[in-house]
Amino acid sequence: MKLLSTKGYNIISDWLAAKGHHPFLFQEQTWQEIIEGKSGLVNAPTGCGKTFSVFLGAVIDFINHHPDNYQTKIKNGLQLIWITPLRALAKDIGRAMEEVIMELGMGWKVGIRNGDTTMSDRQKQKRQMPEVLIITPESLHLLLAQKGYAEVFATLKILAIDEWHELLGSKRGVQVELAVSRILACHRQKQSKKIEVPEAVLENTNEGAVMVKAKKLNKPTTEDRKLSIWGISATIGNLEQAKEVLLASLKSKEGAAGKIIKAVVNKKIEIESIIPDEIEKYPWAGHLGLKLVDKVVPIIKNNKTTLIFINTRGMTERWYQALLNVAPELAGAIALHHGSIEQDLRLWVEDNLHTGRLKAVVCTASLDLGVDFRPVDTVIQVGSPKGVARFLQRAGRSGHQPDATSKIYFLPTHSLELVEAAALKQAISETFIESREPMLLCFDVLAQYLCTLAVSDGFAPAEIFEEIKKTHCYNQITEDEWQELLFFLTAGGAALQQYDEYKKIEVEEGVYRITNRRMAMRHRMHIGTIVSDSMLKVKFMSGGYVGVIEEYFISRLQPGDVFTLAGRNLEYVMIKDMTAIVKKSTSKKSIVPSWNGGRMPLSANLGLMLRRTFDKAFEMNGRTLVKKERQDNPELSVLKPLFDLQESLSHIPKENELLVEHIETKDGFHLFVYPFEGRLVHEAMAAILAYRISRITPITFSFAMNDYGFELLSDQPIPVDDTNVYELFSLDNLFADIQRSVNSVEMAKRKFRDVAVIGGLIFQGTPGEYVKTKHLQNSASLLFNVFTEYDPKNILLRQAYQEVLDQQMEEVRLRNMLERIQKGNIKIQFPARLTPFCFPLKVDSMRENLSSEQLEDRIKRMQVQLEKI
Amino acid sequence: MSFVIPHRIYNNTFLLSADRCIFWEEEKILILSDLHLGKTGHFRKAGIAIPQAVFKEDMQRLVSQLQSFKPRQVIIIGDMFHSESNKEHEFFLKWRQDFASLPIHLVKGNHDILKKEWYALADITIHTCELLIGDFVFVHDVVDCTVPDHGYIFSGHIHPAVTIRGLGKQSLSFPCFYFGMRYAVLPAFSKFTGTFTIEPKAGENVFALVKQTIISF
Repeated sequence: MKLLSTKGYNIISDWLAAKGHHPFLFQEQTWQEIIEGKSGLVNAPTGCGKTFSVFLGAVIDFINHHPDNYQTKIKNGLQLIWITPLRALAKDIGRAMEEVIMELGMGWKVGIRNGDTTMSDRQKQKRQMPEVLIITPESLHLLLAQKGYAEVFATLKILAIDEWHELLGSKRGVQVELAVSRILACHRQKQSKKIEVPEAVLENTNEGAVMVKAKKLNKPTTEDRKLSIWGISATIGNLEQAKEVLLASLKSKEGAAGKIIKAVVNKKIEIESIIPDEIEKYPWAGHLGLKLVDKVVPIIKNNKTTLIFINTRGMTERWYQALLNVAPELAGAIALHHGSIEQDLRLWVEDNLHTGRLKAVVCTASLDLGVDFRPVDTVIQVGSPKGVARFLQRAGRSGHQPDATSKIYFLPTHSLELVEAAALKQAISETFIESREPMLLCFDVLAQYLCTLAVSDGFAPAEIFEEIKKTHCYNQITEDEWQELLFFLTAGGAALQQYDEYKKIEVEEGVYRITNRRMAMRHRMHIGTIVSDSMLKVKFMSGGYVGVIEEYFISRLQPGDVFTLAGRNLEYVMIKDMTAIVKKSTSKKSIVPSWNGGRMPLSANLGLMLRRTFDKAFEMNGRTLVKKERQDNPELSVLKPLFDLQESLSHIPKENELLVEHIETKDGFHLFVYPFEGRLVHEAMAAILAYRISRITPITFSFAMNDYGFELLSDQPIPVDDTNVYELFSLDNLFADIQRSVNSVEMAKRKFRDVAVIGGLIFQGTPGEYVKTKHLQNSASLLFNVFTEYDPKNILLRQAYQEVLDQQMEEVRLRNMLERIQKGNIKIQFPARLTPFCFPLKVDSMRENLSSEQLEDRIKRMQVQLEKI
Repeated sequence: MSFVIPHRIYNNTFLLSADRCIFWEEEKILILSDLHLGKTGHFRKAGIAIPQAVFKEDMQRLVSQLQSFKPRQVIIIGDMFHSESNKEHEFFLKWRQDFASLPIHLVKGNHDILKKEWYALADITIHTCELLIGDFVFVHDVVDCTVPDHGYIFSGHIHPAVTIRGLGKQSLSFPCFYFGMRYAVLPAFSKFTGTFTIEPKAGENVFALVKQTIISF
């Protein structure tokens, strides 16, 4: 079928033309695929019509099938499911879709289904599904937990997954994979039943076998009812794999299904570094950022609306205060936005971003995703964005009009970070963007999914096993693992037969079900894979809600302590009914909560780019730069004094070199190593290296690490030299050495918490049920100990250890690093004193024992001393 | 035989066992707290697959303590049972028959919510508030003790643990016996229990349970 000749296409292109638009090439390509019933992946950045590529495709297809009555036809059942990772996006997408439907005069309805959907709307949807349903992965699984869910999908034509790059690589992505596998299977069953119907009718009318056969061969009826799966993704390093993961369940003997359709959009991005007036030759993390606040004020004033991205919630609070201190006139025109702020306030901030009433918003990743705020024309990134993709994503929050330029400033938190700005520029010019590694064999998500199916209509293991084996995540699952999981869910593992009342999934005539209503309800309430720390609401004594905060933080406060939340100084009064009661405080001193958010390591891509940038710095070393060079490399030029000092004391590592520095100070003997592979890899490598050295000679170390390198400190000389260094960084026995050196038990304990919550071993109390479930409450670390002692082979426990290897230590990356080091040169240096490269690490390791004021004083003294020499 | 350390209070000798209980030599009484019997069963009944081996091991440990100390009676300082009745309690009843002549005293704790009849059936003597023997008082939660000026108190409830800190931010936490000036707190007998970290002051004795031994602080 030729798209251009279809009625649907003509209606849509006329409608667009009337608004002065016309379809982009990638949209037309997508529509063509959709009307042919194919699946695929659209690769397009936000804000250039990606929603319309798939949504209008669905509309065109519908018009083509109902050319005469497409406007009057109503109650068509579900046509399009739109999965979005963010609740906040649903409303805006829904509004955009409704607008189109209204202007085309069609009778389609758009529904939203997520945690905020009211009971009555859910009931309405149950009676009559809208044509378009916008849903989160969690809510889609909740739909699968409803009796008779298969009916809902009978009419479905397209399952679209928006922002697939965000979901891929997380357990929510696995949820999507599972939902796709199930919905496709429901659809296939439904279709095969439908085709059987005419046969039965024919046989009843006794018209003979010939007719029946003829009907059977009549294929086209099934063809146009095929369900297509469409992903929409921003650019990532492994786009092809992203498509394959999403469409894995459609894979046939002929190979992978679907095409990638790329939007050719040449978005201009302007990157500028905010360069401090004075470059410290001895940089350290944590203080420079706020000192540059004076340089931020003019940027805010000279632009329409600025988003200031900061990596941690704690720092956003401090930046907000700092901005108000230096520019009090901005009060009311700047705001704060992060995950702990009360939702109403966040919505207020978002609304005012839309209308352009705010000059600036200080935010965390909470504004990474989501709808476009048109007035935003400038973004400031404070500190390392840790990855190319994230930096691009944030830059893209500004200049959203198709031909506008995105403008992003990079504000370093220490001078060496300026190198990252140079590396980022290069990476972006080469489109060298990180991959998102899809997760494998998440047994916790599978356990949850099986319970979900058991809660609704029950499942037959053989059938579901075939389905999940087709997904990417569970492709490698063994029969044993599957049986083990089923045993765990049906019998609760080994038990004292006659004294055990374990009950969860029960088997009735081969169908696995959860029949207990309370258990089913509890399961429904816990569907999801995002495990948060237990949070307390923060409320004023006089009433009025401020936000939420980790219980862990509050539990360390004494009544009378003052802390900062949502830009306000609050005095802690008491905890009552899972709520922290506070009152306003005028105290100047306050504690800024340190949220337990995972600190992201530097990405492999950015690490590589950094090493290349040092190549360039090395090349510039020791000579005077010409003007052109200075213009082309502003960051490296201003850092020249720092690099000159580094080279004169030690060495600037080139791309294929690993720098190792032996330095002796009054604290002891230091060994600094700079692989530039992110803090997680460094943490593991430091432990492995320490272990390997201690086999040469008995020696103990303390460690410090950051994203650039790590430090081993000892009270005796560290025996690392040319003769043994390659061996110390060898790949041989890596796995065994990891087991012996890294405290993987402690790491697994932390991972186990998420696994246990997702896998249904821990129920986080729900507000109303608090007292009732008290006897069922349990801490993850206790469970971990109990399983370790009594059921060490437990499948969920094993998963926790696997996650430690994959995520906590980034084992693959660790191996790649060691391979790279083996192929390159290791440069061992013996600087007479601390070098610019090691200084930030040295400061980090001092941090632990000193208060912040003491630390600042000491560092200043050290800097003065070092620079004098 | 498990590892024991003697501890003297008011001229009485108390043997602290690494298996989480105390044997009072003069009176031949085995003292323990926070058994939480039926806790695994309670969880399992609700579809949470806690390994039932925990319960089995707790029971076996109790038997081995009874066999090695041969007490004349047993005092349980509260939280003997975790919650409502379940089949693990039936297992306990069967077990009780094997020790039918052994008097068991239970000082009620906040978890002990079973019906009176049940305790009667299990032949357990109930003490609602506290139990006094000579100079010694047994109470579940020390803050509920109504005998303020006299005697030394044995209590449970908080499942005490002590944290040992090492260099480089390393720390390990172990369940412990706590002996203050006026009162002692026993570790939870059951291994399926969380802990509360205590900060001992000078002059107080803490005995940490480290694997099969006891380390005194």
